[in-house]
This record gives sequence, C-alpha cells and structure tokens, in this order.
Amino acid sequence: MSRNDTNFKFLERFDKRVAQLAKQAEEYVHTDPDSCMFKLRLMVETMAKKLSNLQMRGDISQDLGAMLGALERSGIVPRRQADSMHAIRRDGNAAVHGSTTPVPTAMRRLREAYKVSGWFCKMIKRGSKIKLEEFQPPDPPVPVDIATKSLHGKIDELEESIEQRRLATRESLLMFGPQENVKEVTRRIIEELKALDNVAAAAGEPVIDADFVALVMAMDLEQIEEDPRHGGDSRQARREAEQQLDTIKKHLAEREEAFLEERTFLLQKMNTL
Amino acid sequence: MYESEQLDLATLWFLSARTMAIAGEDMPTVQEAATGLYAQAIIGLNEDECRVAKNAEHIANKTLIDCLSGVRRLPRELAEKVLTGVMMISYSDRSMKPLEVRWASMLASAIEVTPDEFQRCCVNARIIASMLRPRMQAS
Repeated sequence: MSRNDTNFKFLERFDKRVAQLAKQAEEYVHTDPDSCMFKLRLMVETMAKKLSNLQMRGDISQDLGAMLGALERSGIVPRRQADSMHAIRRDGNAAVHGSTTPVPTAMRRLREAYKVSGWFCKMIKRGSKIKLEEFQPPDPPVPVDIATKSLHGKIDELEESIEQRRLATRESLLMFGPQENVKEVTRRIIEELKALDNVAAAAGEPVIDADFVALVMAMDLEQIEEDPRHGGDSRQARREAEQQLDTIKKHLAEREEAFLEERTFLLQKMNTL
Repeated sequence: MYESEQLDLATLWFLSARTMAIAGEDMPTVQEAATGLYAQAIIGLNEDECRVAKNAEHIANKTLIDCLSGVRRLPRELAEKVLTGVMMISYSDRSMKPLEVRWASMLASAIEVTPDEFQRCCVNARIIASMLRPRMQAS
C-alpha cells in the first residue's frame, strides 16, 4: 500500500474523529510506532466512549480498562473485539509509560484496529453494510534491511506466542471451552435439570430455604455484615476473598510485565546489531 | 491432591457453575469471568486445570448426576467452596429462578450441609458476588 492510501477510508462516513486517528496511526506505524500506539489507544478510547454513551446508562467510568470491561460484561462488545481493544489499550499504555513499541507490534495492533473499526461502524449505525477488504500493511518509507527484517520476524513470533499465552489465560477463565457447542450444552443441561426437578417435585422434596435466599438477595451488603449471625463470618470471608482475588490479579499483572520485558529484551538485541 | 484429582475438581466446578448459570436462563458475561476467577482464586485450581477440564474428554460425558455424586465425594471444605461459588454465580445477576433454587438445593443435599452451613455459604457468596458485579447496565 502506498503512503498516500489508507485502509480506513470507509470510517469517515461513520465517525470522522475515529477515522482521523486511524489514519494518523497508519502514517506513524513505520516511522514512530510509539506514536502509532498513542493514536490507536485514543482511537479505541473514542470508540468505547461513543459506544458507552449510545448503549449504556448509569455512571460511566472514564477509565478505559473499566469502560471496556463494562461494555464487554453488558454484551455490547463481543469477546473477540474486546480482546483486540484490550490489547491496543495495554500496548498504548506501555508506550505512554516509556516502553518502546516495535514496528511489528504496532502493525499487529493496527491490523486489529482495522477489524474492530469495521465492527464499530455496524454498531453505531445499525443496518450499515460494511465489507472489509483485506488489510493492506502500509509500506515503509525506506526499504528495510535484511537484519531488521529478520528481527521483525522474531518480534512477530514473540507477539504471537504472547497472544497465545493470553488466549490460554482467557480460556481458563471462561465458563465454556472454545470447542464446545454452547447451545447444545445448554439444551442438554436444561433437559437434565428439568428431569431432576420433576423427580424431586414428585418425591415431595421441598426446595431449600427459598425464603432465606430471597432475603439475602434483598438485603444490603452492609446489613448482612452487621447482622450478628453473620457479621464475623462475612467480614472474614470478604477479607480472605479479597486477598485471594488480589493474588490472582497480581499474578496476571506480573505476567504482563514479563511479556513487556521479553519484548524489550528483543529490542535491545536489535539496538546492539 | 493428585493432578488428576485437581482436574476432576475443575470439571466438577465448571459443570456445577455452568448448570447454575444456565438455570438462570440468561448468562451475563460477568458470570463467565467470575467462574474462572473463583476457580483460581478461591478453589485453588491453576490455569491449565481450568482449561483442560473444559475439553470434551473430561466434561462432555458427565451428567448432572455424576456432578452431584462427585461433589458428594469431595472433602467437606472444598464441597462448601463449590456450593458458595455456585451461589455466587446465581447472585451475580441479582435474581434467582426456580431451577436455580432447585440446583442449589440438590447440591446442598448432596453435600449434606445443615441450614446454618448453607446460610453461611449464601452470605459468603453474596459478598463475593458484590465484588465481581458490574457497575453499569446496558440500556
């Protein structure tokens, strides 16, 4: 693709600001990959804000991570798009905080931003027909030498392996495996559950204390914690659960740090070439 | 616990949790994310166990009866953690459908918890659910 062309022309009809950021990111991808990541992050933030304003109500967090999390939990942003948006946010943040972005990383995120923006157009203008052509990587302003090309290949392999490890983490957290047919599993479980329910009802077995369940759900958490019957236990449970959740979150954050270190190590190797 | 026992525990957990989520009829993403976080943070499963447990060879041929029988054989503390987690899944969308109550009832019977113990699990589940609940709602 020549320097004057853009993959993001179609975006102008839907959101001029997002289109402008995308084109700027495209321009910087070879010459200044860090700036490319700033622009892509801002592009994702602009898209997330627009989607939140259009489709969410209530207090909308201004923090991009929280905003994307809420959009995903509400089912507005599907898993694949959310993964790409989070990846752009993470690498954008890393660039802002001084971590050098390699060209292959910026190119990978640019490609992801291209796919996300096609989906974004359909979301903000229902019924719009967008047929994304294959992404055309922008040409470098000067030809890349063999050594740099080889290093870019290695960085790309590393990025791929990081993506695979992130995917594994993601799969471990979800309720269903990637190969499972969720509809079929759901049908089977409902069938079994209804059969068991019928057997239990026919046997005259009462359901467990449904009144208590309703009461707990209706109570404010503070009331539960103040309740002398549960106060001790619930405060202890909260402390323990918070501690355990923090451990997992810390572990995930440390892994992201390690990913960045691996990338930085490769870049340092490039500088010594 | 041996590795295979950890894998069995992971399979039991995901089967119990998804049954509760499915019984609730709709399945917000928060329940999905909470399932894995709870497995790793509270039950103590690792990432691989959580992933492998969802492979067809482990989970596809297990029925709910197998699940109840497996939960019954778990050490008491673990079984209560499973029950608490399942109740957390149920609370995460702030409503409870009849089949959800039935599944909770069946699990509680399998584990043979007393009403007091069940109440404690419910309260703990409510607390954990509050930590994982989304703050915004889609219009």
